[in-house]
Amino acid sequence: MKYPLKLSVNGVLFELEIPANRTLLDVLRNELGLKGTKEGCGAGECGACTVLLDDEPVNSCLVLALQADGRRITTIEGLSGAGKLHPVHEAFIHHGAIQCGFCTPGMILSAKVLLDRHPNPTEREIREGLVGNLCRCTGYQKIVEAVSSLVNRKD
Amino acid sequence: MKKYSVVGHSVPQIDANEKARGVAEFVSDLQLAGMLYGKILRSPHPHARILHIDPSKARRLKGVKAIVTAEDTPQIPFGPRTEDWNIFAVEKVRFIGDEVAGVAAVDEDTAEEALDLIRVEYEELASVFDPIEAMQPGAVLIHDKERNIVSEFKLNKGDVDRAFQECDVVHSERYYTNQVYQAYLEPMACVAHFDPTGKLTLYLATQIPSMTRITYAKALGLPLEKIRVVVPYYGGAFGAKMETNLHLAAAVLSQKTGKPIRMVNSREEDFMAGNPRVPMYIDLKVGAKKDGTLVGKEVKIIGGSGARAIYSMAIVATACYRVDSLYRFEHLRTEGITVYTNTVPTSCFRGFGNAQMTFALESSLDMIAGHLNMDPAELRIRNGLKTGEVSIHGWQIGSSGLEECVQKAVEASGWEEKRRKKRFSRGIGLACCNHVSGNRAFSREFDGGAGIVRIGREGKVLVYHGESDMGQGQRTVFAQIVAEELGVALDRIEVAPVDTDISPFGLGSFATRGTVFGGNGVKAAAQDAKRQILEVAAEIFETIPSELEAKEGKIYVKEEPERNLSFEKVAEICLLRRGGSPIVGTGFWVPDTVLPDPVTKYGNVAPAYPFACQIAEVEVDTETGHVNVLHYTAAHDVGRAINPQATEGQIHGGVTQGIGWALMEDMVVEKGKVLNPDFRDYVMPGPLDIPPIKSILVEPIDPNGPFGAKGIGEPALNPSPAAVANAIYDAIGVRFTELPITPEKILKKLGSALDIGHLHRKKF
Ligand code: FES
Ligand code: FES
Repeated sequence: MKYPLKLSVNGVLFELEIPANRTLLDVLRNELGLKGTKEGCGAGECGACTVLLDDEPVNSCLVLALQADGRRITTIEGLSGAGKLHPVHEAFIHHGAIQCGFCTPGMILSAKVLLDRHPNPTEREIREGLVGNLCRCTGYQKIVEAVSSLVNRKD
Repeated sequence: MKKYSVVGHSVPQIDANEKARGVAEFVSDLQLAGMLYGKILRSPHPHARILHIDPSKARRLKGVKAIVTAEDTPQIPFGPRTEDWNIFAVEKVRFIGDEVAGVAAVDEDTAEEALDLIRVEYEELASVFDPIEAMQPGAVLIHDKERNIVSEFKLNKGDVDRAFQECDVVHSERYYTNQVYQAYLEPMACVAHFDPTGKLTLYLATQIPSMTRITYAKALGLPLEKIRVVVPYYGGAFGAKMETNLHLAAAVLSQKTGKPIRMVNSREEDFMAGNPRVPMYIDLKVGAKKDGTLVGKEVKIIGGSGARAIYSMAIVATACYRVDSLYRFEHLRTEGITVYTNTVPTSCFRGFGNAQMTFALESSLDMIAGHLNMDPAELRIRNGLKTGEVSIHGWQIGSSGLEECVQKAVEASGWEEKRRKKRFSRGIGLACCNHVSGNRAFSREFDGGAGIVRIGREGKVLVYHGESDMGQGQRTVFAQIVAEELGVALDRIEVAPVDTDISPFGLGSFATRGTVFGGNGVKAAAQDAKRQILEVAAEIFETIPSELEAKEGKIYVKEEPERNLSFEKVAEICLLRRGGSPIVGTGFWVPDTVLPDPVTKYGNVAPAYPFACQIAEVEVDTETGHVNVLHYTAAHDVGRAINPQATEGQIHGGVTQGIGWALMEDMVVEKGKVLNPDFRDYVMPGPLDIPPIKSILVEPIDPNGPFGAKGIGEPALNPSPAAVANAIYDAIGVRFTELPITPEKILKKLGSALDIGHLHRKKF
């Protein structure tokens, strides 16, 4: 049994028909081909699948696609409009915060939300803000440095 | 120190932009036309005979395209070292997670549903899980190996018994290093495609593309030329991603269906059938003189290989003897036994046995320093191998920055002052390590590295290598080396993904060898390309190549720099004058390493040896048992950092994994079943568990490394568990000899210490 689903993803409206048990992660990756959203655990424990649902970061592996019906979704692909990098992208690249890159899309989205909400976080607050995103490569240090470099930016 | 224009400068990874934007295609993202999805039916029993497999019901499920078992494979036993693997279980299963059957279906859900419909009848057999129990006479046999012993390593030098008698202090201890999981963020994955010509293309997350190809050709009964391995982006490995049956199951399913098959482990499968660290019991006895001179070392290791010996015997051997080239021991007795058990096969994890032994040895040295009332830092410096020394096993130390690492770490951490101002529950601990960059004992067929450098009409440089970038930034280091050699900017260089149809045969990324071997290989290739482009430029400028210089994107006459052409222009002229041929430079590098003698193990196994010293500062909460790592200093001899930013990144990542191992990470296995196969219960460090890490790069410029560089991957982790354990000892006076050092263990020890204190108070 399939159900109709309307999603606005990165500003584009999609109308789909999907079974009730499909996760948002699955639909983004396999129906819409947005492979930037990664699956690291499928159980809400790693943050690799982080997307913004109406500006709220969620683990898309835990959200049923139908729960997102009629809502606005931003994935990592939506953060770099027309080839232009978002300042969070630039900071991650510049500070060497990316190694294998598998945690990166989720990490960047979490960092963006963190900075949108607290433009002036302390190092501790940055670490707290990223606690839902695991990274096994970097030891978090250069990620924290990248986010710190954006504190109080004027743009 | 000589300065270069690209080498030695911090640059972002050359592929960071794609990764940041989420457009880099990882193995688990690949989508080929007509692709099906594979899943593996795994054994629920640790040891059982397979009586019957009935796939008929599963076969009838809509969307199922193929079901395969051992009968669909050539059933040729294979394996990288001992031939104890089958693609799917033959006759019996040997661990929970063992591969029994494979399903291909139109989507993953259907494939999973089909797994439930396959009926397998088993007859359960007795099983054994602990390596010490498994080697007892009468224990059930897992393979046909006496006492389940995979292999024994023995090595004796000098007269250790007499040496101990003459020592002023002899310290004996049993250590246990537990089974931990690499936890790369992308689970193991692949796409396999048999095309209609019978050629199999495997898109693999593997650290050893050329070597897996050989192993898989044997397993599939195919000629080598019928297999092509391509390595796309993949999400971390840390030693685990070498050979795996997952790849072969996908290949068999593709052969059966004629379609590309994608297979990705679920996280749970990755825990139960991945490749975790070899657990070891380490009985270690170390003797020293009053002045701190280390004299003798006796060690007996029992390592659990799980149900297949992958590289475990080599890992146990490494644990047995690598540290003998860190300090000057003269008398040694060594025994290492690797034993099968009915648990997940164990294998490589950053450190390759040396991490296990470093925990034991550096803990013991801390105790010895205490007995001798000597600064632990001084003990290390006194005994550490120096540049130009040859170790007891014939390892030629071309450069050693160990002493400088200790001095710099001591200074940066405030070691001396913090040790003077002691207060209970707060402590500081130090540990050192050595490692190899490359390992001839492991690469038995040959040693070396190679590269291809292709310069196209537009002057764009494409570099081919045969190693593997699992995220550590290897591509970027190779690009920097080639840019430096050719005198062009880094953005002129692209590094091709490994494709065994085109790339050189690389031994791969293990043993902290990529930078030294791949780096020297692409360096030689760049020199060859440069020779060719300068030959053509010499014709243009009517001079000889040695009169020319290539620098800053230009080729010019040394004496008359105004006579110059851009690198791109010369590349174009080259191609036009040479019938359309791009410049293709090839090159290789072969170090003078030797296979160690089979009995004495004597022989220089690596062209370069990295060293390190790390210092941890901790606070122990005596109410909760929680350990807070307050400060961390890591000084590493990296020869020369080609890309300092990436080198630091490796140190941060290694230390973090080391702290995780020291304090929290543990695969809890009960009766062969992993009880915590997920990231909720397998606890590893998050951003709040790790303090800022002060990394210090020590650069003695190695004579053999490219531009003097050595590797960094594994030494970044090796000393961390001991540094933390030594800091905890300094804080609360309790020595922990088993990893991980959890709050429960700490409270238990503190509790008994307090009880004793209580009794004492009563009595006196
Ligand atoms: S994949 Fe969703 S949290 Fe890990
Ligand atoms: S960069 Fe590899 S997991 Fe974060």
